[in-house]
Amino acid sequence: MNAWGFYVATLLIYFGVDLLSGISLNLQFGYAGVVNFGYVVFQAVGAYAAAVVVLGPSGGVASFQQYVFGARLAFPLDLLVAAAAGGLVSLAIGMFSLRRMRRDYQAVVLLIVSLIAIQLVSADVPLFNGANGLTGVGWPLGQLLGISATSSPWIYAAWVLAICAAVFVGVTWLSRSPWGRSLRAMRDNEAAASAMGLNITALRLQVFVLGGAIAGLSGGLLVEYIGAWSPGAWGYAETFVIFTAIFVGGVGNYRGVVIGVLLVPVIFLEIPRFLPAIGYPGLIDSLQWVAIGLAWMLCLLFRPQGILPEKRLRVGRPVGPPETAVAPAEGAI
Amino acid sequence: MSTPLPATATGPDPVLVARDVVVSYGGVHAVDQVSVNISPGGIIGIIGPNGAGKSSFLGALGGQVKRSGGVITLSGQDISSLLPHQRARLGLARTFQTTSEFGRMTVFENLVTAAEGDRGASLKSVVLHPRRTKMREHAAAEHAWEVLRRFEMERTANHYGRELSGGQRRLVEIMRCLMRSPKVLLLDEPMVGVAPHLTHKLVDDLRAIGRDGLGILIVEHALEVVRQLCDQVVVMALGKVIASGSFEEVVQDATVQAAYLS
Repeated sequence: MNAWGFYVATLLIYFGVDLLSGISLNLQFGYAGVVNFGYVVFQAVGAYAAAVVVLGPSGGVASFQQYVFGARLAFPLDLLVAAAAGGLVSLAIGMFSLRRMRRDYQAVVLLIVSLIAIQLVSADVPLFNGANGLTGVGWPLGQLLGISATSSPWIYAAWVLAICAAVFVGVTWLSRSPWGRSLRAMRDNEAAASAMGLNITALRLQVFVLGGAIAGLSGGLLVEYIGAWSPGAWGYAETFVIFTAIFVGGVGNYRGVVIGVLLVPVIFLEIPRFLPAIGYPGLIDSLQWVAIGLAWMLCLLFRPQGILPEKRLRVGRPVGPPETAVAPAEGAI
Repeated sequence: MSTPLPATATGPDPVLVARDVVVSYGGVHAVDQVSVNISPGGIIGIIGPNGAGKSSFLGALGGQVKRSGGVITLSGQDISSLLPHQRARLGLARTFQTTSEFGRMTVFENLVTAAEGDRGASLKSVVLHPRRTKMREHAAAEHAWEVLRRFEMERTANHYGRELSGGQRRLVEIMRCLMRSPKVLLLDEPMVGVAPHLTHKLVDDLRAIGRDGLGILIVEHALEVVRQLCDQVVVMALGKVIASGSFEEVVQDATVQAAYLS
C-alpha cells in the first residue's frame, strides 16, 4: 500500500472515532443539555480497558510496561469491555457530578475530573504505565481473520465505519423516541420537565452512561488501530475539538455532526500538515488550537444553529372525526 | 400562627392539604406557617404584594422550593419529602411565574412530553416494550389534539415554544398540565403577558377545568381575575396569611387594605 492510501485510510479511521465522539456528545449536550467537558476521560478509559484485556498478563515491574488487570480476551469481549468500562466510570463520576447541581457547575466539575484523571494516570505508574503509556496493543478481530490493523487499514476503516453506522442508527432512533423527547424537555427547562413527572437525575445519568459507553467504544477502536495509548493522547483540549465540531455541524442534528466532524477534526486539523513551515518549530501546531477556538466563536456569532440546525418534527392535523383521529406521524411523533 | 382554610365551606374532602408550611431563606421566613386546603373543583386564589411569599409557597407545594416545616398531603398521602417529579406523578401539576415552555420543542411535542411523563418515556420501556411505547405515543397524540382543540390552539401545533407570544406560552403551560390529568393544578400568575381578550377566555377555560373536578390554586396579581374565578381568596403579606374568605370579604378587611390594597 502506498503512503497516500495509508494516510487516507487512517484519516477515515480517525473520522469514525471522532464521529462516535460527536454522536455521544451530541446526545449528551445537544439533546440532554449535559455539558460533558470531561468527555475525553471516558474515551481514555475505554482505550486503557481495551489495551489491558488485549495485551495479556502484565509482566510486573520487571517488564517494560506495567498495568493492572492484564488479560487476553478474544473479540468481541475487548470492545465490550471498553464500552462497559466507559459506561461504568461514567456512572461513578455521574453519581457525584450530575446530582442536584446546576449545569454550569457540572461542566466545571467534569473539566476538573478530566484534569485530575490525567495527572493521576501519569503519576500512578503501576496503573497504566504512567506517562509512557501502553504499547503493543493488537487487534483481536484482525487476529481471528489473520490480518493486522496497520497492514490492512482499509479493512479496519470499514470496520470502524460499520460500527459508526450502527451507533448512528441506534442513537438517532433513541433520540427520536419518547425518551429522546424527555431529554429535550430536560434540556429546555429542567424545572418544568421535573414538574411534568420526568426524573431529571435518572435521565441525566442514563444519557451520561450511554454516552460514556460510546466514548469507551471509540477509545477501544482507536487503541486497537494505533496500538498505543498514553496521557498525551487524551488532553482535555480533545473534548473541545469535538464540541467545536458539533457546534459547527449543528447542535441536536446528527447529520450535522457528521459534517462537523468531517470539517473540524479531520480537514481543519489536517490542512496545517501541508502548510510550509513558518516561524519557530511547533508554531503551526499551536495555531491549530487558536483556529479551533476561532471556529467555535465565529460559529456562535454568525450561525449559532450550525450548518444543519436541529430538525423541527412537524405533525399533520388529524383527519376524520376528532374522537377517533390519530395524528399522522412525520418524524418522531 | 397557622391558618387552616377550607377550600369551600360545604365542599368535598380536600385533595391537597398544606399545614403550617414554612419556607426559610437563610434566617428569613419567606413563608411562615401557611395552611391551605384545596377540594376537587375548588378554586383558591392567593394574592398579596410583591415579596409576600406567594410563589415560594407554590414552590413548596410543588417541591421546587425546600420546605423548612409543615406537612403537605395529596389525596391523604404525605408528599412533604417527595421530589417534584414524584409529586407530579401523584397528580400535582403546576405552571411557573416565568413561562416555562420547552422552547426548542413544538407545541405538540410540549403536550405529548407532558402526557408521557412517567408512563412511556423511560429508556427501559422504549427499548424493551417498543410496541407498548408506540401505542402510548399515539394515545398521547390523540389527547394532545383534543387539548389543542379545546384551547383553539391547533394552528400553533408545529410552532416552537419560543416562537409563541407571552399569552400563548401561558396557554401551553396550562395545556401541558392538563395533559397529565392532574388532581390539583397550581398556577403562578397565569395572566401575566396574556392579552385582555384572551384573559376572559382563559378565565372561562379555568372555570370549566374546575367544573371537571380539578382543584386549582392560583397566585395572581390581577384582582378582577381573582374576583371572577376564585371561590376563596387568601391574602399573604410578609410570608403570613393576613386574611382569607370570599373576594368581597377580604377586600373589606382593614388589615388587607392597609397591607396591600390601599
